[in-house]
Amino acid sequence: MKVAVQLFGPLAEQVGLSRLDVSVTGGTVRDVLAAVAVAAPTLRIDRSVRFAVNTDYAEPGATVREGDTVSLIPPVGGG
Amino acid sequence: MFKVTTDPLSLDEAYAAVRRDDCGAVALFVGTVRDHHDGKKVTRISYSAFSEMAVKEFAAIAAEAAARWKTGAMYIAHRTGALAIGDASVLIAVSAPHRAEAFEACRHAIEALKKMAPVWKEEFYETGKAWISG
Repeated sequence: MKVAVQLFGPLAEQVGLSRLDVSVTGGTVRDVLAAVAVAAPTLRIDRSVRFAVNTDYAEPGATVREGDTVSLIPPVGGG
Repeated sequence: MFKVTTDPLSLDEAYAAVRRDDCGAVALFVGTVRDHHDGKKVTRISYSAFSEMAVKEFAAIAAEAAARWKTGAMYIAHRTGALAIGDASVLIAVSAPHRAEAFEACRHAIEALKKMAPVWKEEFYETGKAWISG
């Protein structure tokens, strides 16, 4: 399935992109991350990075459907 | 009212959004751009956000405060884009029947925002820059 991946802050800076469109085998956030690793091999996604499916935080095991947007949320700094 | 905006934040707007006849207290918190960080002189800051999700997180913070402290109304606005020293970056206003609840809910809101809101801060120094979290 096709999934849009959004990158923010330092992650977007790392690869010079704020969006990636990936083809995913499987249906979880973890599967999307595997596809991202192939599409953007230089991107470093460590344990500090959280994830969102559309506009809600989601765990790596959360379900992703065709057309969803998965966001990679590096440590936040609002305030 | 919850928003992420590139426009300057307005205390008048925040106050008007939360003041209510059944509330005897309004607490306001304003985060402003500081001119130093870890001994370095900060020249400017740039904020970016996942706006749609941030606004949803703001609403969740307000809902939690309403359930916990019986607040009247809450306003949360975060500014994005290039900010100068002294500019307001975040503005929270909350009304409650009494001051204790207003202060507690306001404190809780800024702490929760700093943990949960998908907003990123890039600090610029006289030489170099850094992403700042937490």
